[in-house]
Amino acid sequence: MAAIVANRLTKTFTARVRPSGRLSAIRSLVRPELREVEAVKGVSFEVEEGELVAFLGPNGAGKSTTIKMLMGILQPSGGGASVLGLDPSRERVELSRYVGAVFGQKSQLWFHLPPSDSFRLLGAVYEIDEDDRKWREAELIERFGLAPYWDVPVRKLSLGERIRCEIAASLLPAPLVLFLDEPTIGLDVVAKREIRQLLAEAARVDDTTIFLTSHDMGDIEKVCKRAIIIHHGEVVVDESMKDLRHRALSLKHVGVRYASPVNLDLPTLSPVKRTPTAASYEVDTRKHSLAEVVRALASRGELEDITIEDEPLESVIAAIYSAGSGAEAHAFGSGDGSLERLDEASSDA
Amino acid sequence: MIGRKRLSPTMRPLGRIRAYARFLAAAFAVNVKSTLEYRVNFLLQFFGMMLNNAAFAAFWVVLIARTGNVGGYGFSDVMLVWAFVSTSFGLAHIVFGNVRQLGRIIMEGGLDVYLLQPKDVWINALASKTIVSAWGDFAYGFIVLAMTTGADPERWALFVALVIPGALIFAATFAAAESLAFFIGNSSAISSALTEFMLSFSLYPEGIYGSGMRWMLYTIVPSGFVAFMPLRIFKALDWRLAPVLFLIAVAYVWLSYALFNMGLRRYESGNRMDARV
Amino acid sequence: MRSLRRGSRVYAVAASTAMREKLAYPGNFAGSMFTYALFVFIFSRVWAGAYSGTTEIAGYTMRMSVWYFIVAEVPSFGFGRFFWTLSRDMKSGQVAYLLVRPYDFIRYNFAEKFGGSLVEACVILAEGLAVGLMLVGPPPATASAMAAMTRPLFLAASLLMAGTLNYLLQMTIAMTAFWFEENEAFFWIFQKFSLVVGTLMPIEFLPRAAARIAVWTPFPYLSYAPARIAVAFSFSDALSLLARQALWIAVALWLARIVFASGSRRLSVNGG
Repeated sequence: MAAIVANRLTKTFTARVRPSGRLSAIRSLVRPELREVEAVKGVSFEVEEGELVAFLGPNGAGKSTTIKMLMGILQPSGGGASVLGLDPSRERVELSRYVGAVFGQKSQLWFHLPPSDSFRLLGAVYEIDEDDRKWREAELIERFGLAPYWDVPVRKLSLGERIRCEIAASLLPAPLVLFLDEPTIGLDVVAKREIRQLLAEAARVDDTTIFLTSHDMGDIEKVCKRAIIIHHGEVVVDESMKDLRHRALSLKHVGVRYASPVNLDLPTLSPVKRTPTAASYEVDTRKHSLAEVVRALASRGELEDITIEDEPLESVIAAIYSAGSGAEAHAFGSGDGSLERLDEASSDA
Repeated sequence: MIGRKRLSPTMRPLGRIRAYARFLAAAFAVNVKSTLEYRVNFLLQFFGMMLNNAAFAAFWVVLIARTGNVGGYGFSDVMLVWAFVSTSFGLAHIVFGNVRQLGRIIMEGGLDVYLLQPKDVWINALASKTIVSAWGDFAYGFIVLAMTTGADPERWALFVALVIPGALIFAATFAAAESLAFFIGNSSAISSALTEFMLSFSLYPEGIYGSGMRWMLYTIVPSGFVAFMPLRIFKALDWRLAPVLFLIAVAYVWLSYALFNMGLRRYESGNRMDARV
Repeated sequence: MRSLRRGSRVYAVAASTAMREKLAYPGNFAGSMFTYALFVFIFSRVWAGAYSGTTEIAGYTMRMSVWYFIVAEVPSFGFGRFFWTLSRDMKSGQVAYLLVRPYDFIRYNFAEKFGGSLVEACVILAEGLAVGLMLVGPPPATASAMAAMTRPLFLAASLLMAGTLNYLLQMTIAMTAFWFEENEAFFWIFQKFSLVVGTLMPIEFLPRAAARIAVWTPFPYLSYAPARIAVAFSFSDALSLLARQALWIAVALWLARIVFASGSRRLSVNGG
């Protein structure tokens, strides 16, 4: 059974246009100028139980709005959603018992109190037996390594420690689905890695479905098995991490350095960067054989150094973002004219 | 893995009430603990409020010393009105500490956290904070009571019976004003005006207002129910009217709750997007 | 002195930006205008009650008392709420950024906050004149035509100084946030003292001993001074009140600088 279903979800906000002049400011009091903003335009996808899905998109793509509709915080303007078979917009309270959420910015922990107090309160909020709570707490303390700061006020914790507590707190009622909105934002490398491991473990141990929004490619590569990318309120990519990575793998960066200047232009491939004795090439392995390119380069002169690198996943996704509309992004996905667009994307970055 | 069945809550009515009682008790405990985290500040605030309220008493001492009585109230009447208002206002802010932040919470999308929890959003949001200085207000009324009526246990009991509906009416009225944020965006001007009205009207003798004004004081700015009516009941020592005040409080709470839930349907989780363009 | 001129420009720009910001949201005035009108109304009722058996209290007629209140509340409404924004800036950690900017913290904030408040104070004053005329008729007459002509100038000067003093004292209180997490209580005490000493009623109403002490505190110069000038004007009185306001501004500025210096030192030692 699908744990999360989004069926042509749309959300339109009414934004008030701020007046510019003094007179229009007064006029806007009487009759404010309104404008409709379509934040989400028909997003559809399904997430299976126990899946780990990354929900990606640039700022303003509609990620948070979609996730909030899935949790019942926002009412969709159109379309429908179902989480664990419940309709979030009508059965929010019932759903909230089985769904956990971590918002990087909005804490469910009490700022001035140690996590232990917040957990006790959450126990009452979720109506968990005192004995069950203690048992579950002990497990989470152990797993998340919370013991050292279990009795330290949250305000004294580092961001990484706080997020760890935050995630543990959201797992207290053993949710079937966990939504995370930018969980690793602002964390250092070590803290990020820890959080990712804990999330992967939560999915494995508790069999929790994890739905995560992020900007951080690391989050996605390390934790998730599938990526849904939305842009301008529409789903532009929905595929497994493996396929997404495959796109990356099909593009290789080849760098060469020669002892003396040589002709760097190959018959079918020109370098993207060059000096008299060195150059780098982007090789789409669907068009060129990597072996042939390397052989051709080796035959040009005395090679001092050669490097072959994968296209970073980050650039692949950046290319998808920078591709204007959803249609174009799909075209990119099918492989046509991808090189040009990738060039633009990587030179922007 | 934890048994999911055991974690799912009871749906029986009595169980629901018990669950809410447990939740409110836990929220209150966390509130008190949160307050005690800042013991020094707490004491500071406490004595600060005492001093503040004493300053107001000074104003009335001065004025009534000059004029005998104002609007039919002598000094002890004014002080008792102060006691009622102060203690119920304090109690409202101790138990429902977010009551005057609600509008900001609504505007900034802060209800998300409460919407994600399986408890009533209104109660959860209101009870999730306490105002440290409110303990000073709360205690002040009892100090005034001790000074004006001594240690008569019946009067103390009646006082307590009257400040509880008072606190509910305060909380309901403030929450209603703050809930306007759902409808008009920034409601802070209206709600702070209402707060000031309600407090200011309550702190002056009822007799100075004309009949048109008094009509307002028993409806939209219910100073009458937190100050004048409790004072009359208290002076007459008439227990029969205490339940009436309770029913009135329930009506205010119900109206405020309905307004909030009506607005909740329009909640946009901070996505109002009326940033400068 | 090119650098000084350039330096002052920052403050002028801050002030005018704040003013324009205030004017951009005229709706924000509605709330305080409403509250103010209601306060004036309540107090006209309180005074009606208080004067029911007498025509004069401590040398003030009922009309004087009402006009006194109308003017005395102008500084509290126009300049009485700096604390909240200042204190919020202090606590949100924004102060750390403000501290490293190349201008005077106290002066910059003054330009910004006072600039915005000036607009509000003018609106409130105009409203007060209208409400007062409606409730009790024109303010008490002056002794001479000359006095009638100069009274508005003295009143304006006194209101501006009341606002400046208000800002400096509230800034000092807001800066206690360097040491105390919740410092609202200090402000409340300050607010209530200024309310009792000279805002709600003239200090002449206070018992003689209290009034004698009160003139040595800064509170009468936050509201009593302009209100007294408005309802019982004489040149010598007005000059003396303005001089005392100026003196208190100097003292408050000195105090604010001391608190700021030790507070910001503490911040740089302990971190935000």
